[in-house]
Amino acid sequence: MAERVDVCIVGSGFGGAISAYRLAELYQAAGVSPSIMVLERGRRHKHTDFRQSTDIEHLSKTYGLVQGQGAQVVIGDGVGGGSNLYLAASLRSPSETFERRDRRPGDGPERRMWPSQITRATLNPYYRRVELALRVQRPSWKQVAKSGGLWAATLAHAGHTCDRVPLAIDLNRCIQAKWCHTGCIYAAKNSVITNYLASAEQLGVQVRPSSQVELITRSTATPYRYVVNVSEIDNDSANPTRQPTGTTTQIECKVLILAAGAMGSTPLLMRSRTTMPSVSDQVGKHLGVNGDHMAAIEYDERKVRDLLGLPGFGQFYKGNHITTMSYDFWTSKPGNANDGKRFTLQEIYLSPLAHTLYDDARAPAGEPSFYGLQKKQALSTFNNHIEILAMVEDTHDGEFIAPPPFGSHVRPNAGPVGVGTFNYQLSDQSIAVREAADAAIRSIAERRGLGKFMKLSMRHVFCAHPLGGCRMADSKDYGVVDHRNEVFDNAGLFCIDSSAIPTSLGVNPSLTISAVSERAVAQLIDRAADYGLPAKPAGFTPGVPGVALGPHTTPVRRLDDAAVDAKVRSYS
Amino acid sequence: MPRKQRRKGVGVDQDFDVPGGSADLGRLLSRRQILQRATVLGVGGLILSALPAADRILATVAPSEAAVNLADATLQAVADTFIPGRQATLTDLGHEIHPLAIAGVHHEPGAVEADALALFHDPLIGFDALEPAFLAEVETRSLLRGGQFLDLDFANRIEVMKAGLAAANPSVVVWEAAAAVPFAAFMAEATLPNASIDTASGYQVIGHPGVAPNGYAEYSYRRKLSRERTLFGYLG
Repeated sequence: MAERVDVCIVGSGFGGAISAYRLAELYQAAGVSPSIMVLERGRRHKHTDFRQSTDIEHLSKTYGLVQGQGAQVVIGDGVGGGSNLYLAASLRSPSETFERRDRRPGDGPERRMWPSQITRATLNPYYRRVELALRVQRPSWKQVAKSGGLWAATLAHAGHTCDRVPLAIDLNRCIQAKWCHTGCIYAAKNSVITNYLASAEQLGVQVRPSSQVELITRSTATPYRYVVNVSEIDNDSANPTRQPTGTTTQIECKVLILAAGAMGSTPLLMRSRTTMPSVSDQVGKHLGVNGDHMAAIEYDERKVRDLLGLPGFGQFYKGNHITTMSYDFWTSKPGNANDGKRFTLQEIYLSPLAHTLYDDARAPAGEPSFYGLQKKQALSTFNNHIEILAMVEDTHDGEFIAPPPFGSHVRPNAGPVGVGTFNYQLSDQSIAVREAADAAIRSIAERRGLGKFMKLSMRHVFCAHPLGGCRMADSKDYGVVDHRNEVFDNAGLFCIDSSAIPTSLGVNPSLTISAVSERAVAQLIDRAADYGLPAKPAGFTPGVPGVALGPHTTPVRRLDDAAVDAKVRSYS
Repeated sequence: MPRKQRRKGVGVDQDFDVPGGSADLGRLLSRRQILQRATVLGVGGLILSALPAADRILATVAPSEAAVNLADATLQAVADTFIPGRQATLTDLGHEIHPLAIAGVHHEPGAVEADALALFHDPLIGFDALEPAFLAEVETRSLLRGGQFLDLDFANRIEVMKAGLAAANPSVVVWEAAAAVPFAAFMAEATLPNASIDTASGYQVIGHPGVAPNGYAEYSYRRKLSRERTLFGYLG
């Protein structure tokens, strides 16, 4: 006998948490106890569980690194999803994004790639809603990291502008340790586990960790519409396998929201198409990477002083991960004629490990560039590097071949690395716009010998921002969900997450995924009674989720850095 | 657990004694281990018969003085080729380093000291499943360069890596997986929970403090460094 709820949400990242909280608000306003369940395949994290460490055990509990054919994709794992690991840059996507008409060859006729109802203007109220919930604030120049400041000065030196990046970080609580990427130990970073999801649980939403949805079928018990088969995952035993334990359950619901992300919702819906053939045959196609394209710069510290007038650098390890970016290569290319040619350039700190990805910049003839002696020399200058994330207007070039038998990707062991069943092959446009971004970075970085450009050296696309696979469109011929994120011809089934995003965004995607999610759930609430949920009461207004840190430690920042800086220098 | 010598900055900056001859090498290997690991390599007699060094090694082995076995020594040498380091005898975790593993072409610690071997064998990585096939190909390609991988000089080790990592190599993904491990050990300190610059040689080389529960006070240049294009940080 299946367990019954009104709303079942698969996944607990941005899309799932926003859906849970907003629907819980509806139930509260209607005076009804929420009948909402969130299923999450990973374990539950408190922020006090996080560590400033990239040891393999910690990574195994929080990250997934999915290796497909042609691309490596980083995903979050656990309650809170990617929000635990994101770097908190919270930016509205430029208007041009939503008007784009460029696409991968063979991807249908020329058309607007986003549904006609979605523009930057229609999303603005929802962007605002998310900015309030995630407490987005723009750092002052006194709060910009040295690495971000160095990028700003480098751009200015080359005649470009550079803007400070709004962050979903409590800057009063933040200790500027540059350890967002393994989960903030103080919850200064606004992950959904301290706002949307925590508030949803306070309102009565059930969150069930270690629950992996394997299949969706239709329910025949009106008003219930869908049944999901759930495997219990071994996440919390003494030696967790992170595989299904063999215990299975079923959940039956009126509304089913897939919010497991591009790498999770997509294979689930593909697998379920065998029982629901009315799902568009576009499912699994048009997987994107948000145009992510990395590079790095190795600075000559003497030139930093002489040319930029800064007191040196050598402190890549301090401050927020992302604080500055330039829009100059976006605004110089207005109009649809330039679709597919724009990009932004953002200073970012991924982790020291990311420096594996870059050419050593020394280019000795015949020598390898990403390993060996030259590479070792380049790693030794790490503290005079910065990383640049170009977010380019590429096409969505990936496609799932077939879903794995269970789960979203094949996990050969309990570690973070798995195998994805997708192909990723960059289109000519995707390559050309990346080459343009490389040329721009090189030109800026190497002006008057300021630094050396370090080109991405791996064969694969490396991506922390998977998008699409169940993209939204005006028609079932070109997409899987409509502008409300509802699966075409499958009432009550939604994809409210990154899987619905049809193009790269030019900025870090979390705010846009969240804004589209806010819009989708608002549209769902408008029609809630049609789905058998409590009707939207007159005067219903969405609020702002409170901040719930839970048990926490009060951060104490060191008063001066002399000791640690001296120690770092002593090894250099 | 033996203590390793630390890098400069926290005390000693010394040269390490490295066994120089076959007798020294022999003391560190047991015949049983060599035979066992040679079988694991999956290329059996072909490689052994083709290795001029094999008889020399076997003839000088003193039983029960084993340290790092041959396959592990080769993995350490592979790690040292990806991220080369100084000669050393112990890793950060206190594990022994095979005397032939490190070519010694760089003056600072490399991936071997950062416990790449431990990470190769970590079940959360799963490289053990790839190890036999990988080492078989490493040794086969090494033969073309004149001998066992451990016996090659650094330049020839690099040539073996270049051949394995060539896009045209059908098994390039195995080599890329092998490359990822030393980088994760060295740059992410993947074997050291809560690693700090005091204990992690990779962090010492790159100059990363590691854990920083009190963060930093002087993290900003504290002044405007560029003209800005937007009012709120994003475009309209």
